[in-house]
Amino acid sequence: MGTLTIGCFPGVVGNMTYDFTLKLAEAAVDKGHKVNLWFSGNATSSIKANQKHLKDYPTAEIYLKALLEKGVEICTCEACSLSRGIKKPEGIEGVQWNAMHWYLAKIHGSDRVLQIGGE
Amino acid sequence: MKLGVFVSDFRLTSDTLDRIKADKLGIILVENGVYHATTKEDGKSSPLLDKATNLYALSEDIQIRGMKDTDVDERVKVVNYSDVVDLIFNEYDKIAWL
Amino acid sequence: MGDVKLAYIVQKAQYKSESSRLAITHAIAYQTVEVLLDDGDNVIPTLCFVGEGVLGIQKGQNTMDVYGVTSTETHMKNTLLVDLDVLVCKEDLDKYGIPEDAMPNADEMGADKTIQVVPFSEIQKAMEESKHILFF
Repeated sequence: MGTLTIGCFPGVVGNMTYDFTLKLAEAAVDKGHKVNLWFSGNATSSIKANQKHLKDYPTAEIYLKALLEKGVEICTCEACSLSRGIKKPEGIEGVQWNAMHWYLAKIHGSDRVLQIGGE
Repeated sequence: MKLGVFVSDFRLTSDTLDRIKADKLGIILVENGVYHATTKEDGKSSPLLDKATNLYALSEDIQIRGMKDTDVDERVKVVNYSDVVDLIFNEYDKIAWL
Repeated sequence: MGDVKLAYIVQKAQYKSESSRLAITHAIAYQTVEVLLDDGDNVIPTLCFVGEGVLGIQKGQNTMDVYGVTSTETHMKNTLLVDLDVLVCKEDLDKYGIPEDAMPNADEMGADKTIQVVPFSEIQKAMEESKHILFF
């Protein structure tokens, strides 16, 4: 089994790329791979807790919690999150907060890296 | 290098794919990229399909757009998320999202 | 495991997509990654600009004055200060009529590195020599 690190930059609302990212992460972890997920840019808005799932809008929280339970490591860019008005106590429990070097450190130990640029 | 490239748009704004050289190049069509596999413009297939011999399209993204796997160009293999994971780990040593 | 080489490929113009700026700051972050790695391990990014990615990196920017944010020019200088290799595609500069001497440098800040304007073949080589390729 290998390690896949995904850098996800697009926001959860606005296109389906974020949804693709979580689906791919789930498929990889279900096959026994180790998965790391790094959020930067608009993707960092997705880590705020207490999201209301309106059916006209994609949502993140329920899927992120499921991925965390399956052992996926998820980390948000602290600067990107703070710049969007999200404070750490408001974040989903289990999501890590760190700087960009977290992503690079995970890349160092990864077999595959998928960098998904955003808006 | 063995490079697997994800294409998620129907309109390509970059010519990067034209210039990259790879010993093995695979194109994985996801999101609106699946239109390259399903849709002819003025009766012509997408020129993207001529850029690689290993072409894949994500079944889930075909179906959510109201199309069927049978609508896909015969050069393209329809895959699911699980297959994509196998492509990433087994068929290519580098992957890129254009 | 030692050094892991990365090729960062910026293909979107600056000041529209956040990704193109985040590419630069994520490259600069290599400077502190050692705190999370074992001794002797590191990541070595090469930052490459191709296609429309060559737009918005030239000198003379005043983003701080107008919008109150750090300019890409400043970020580019910081990449040189932390000794990153920065490659800009010559064919694409020519395509958009941008002279090579429009590229910023950080000489006055004491940087040893300068931006290298290179044919695409050199960027292809950087991708081949890297373990991972990250498109922004």
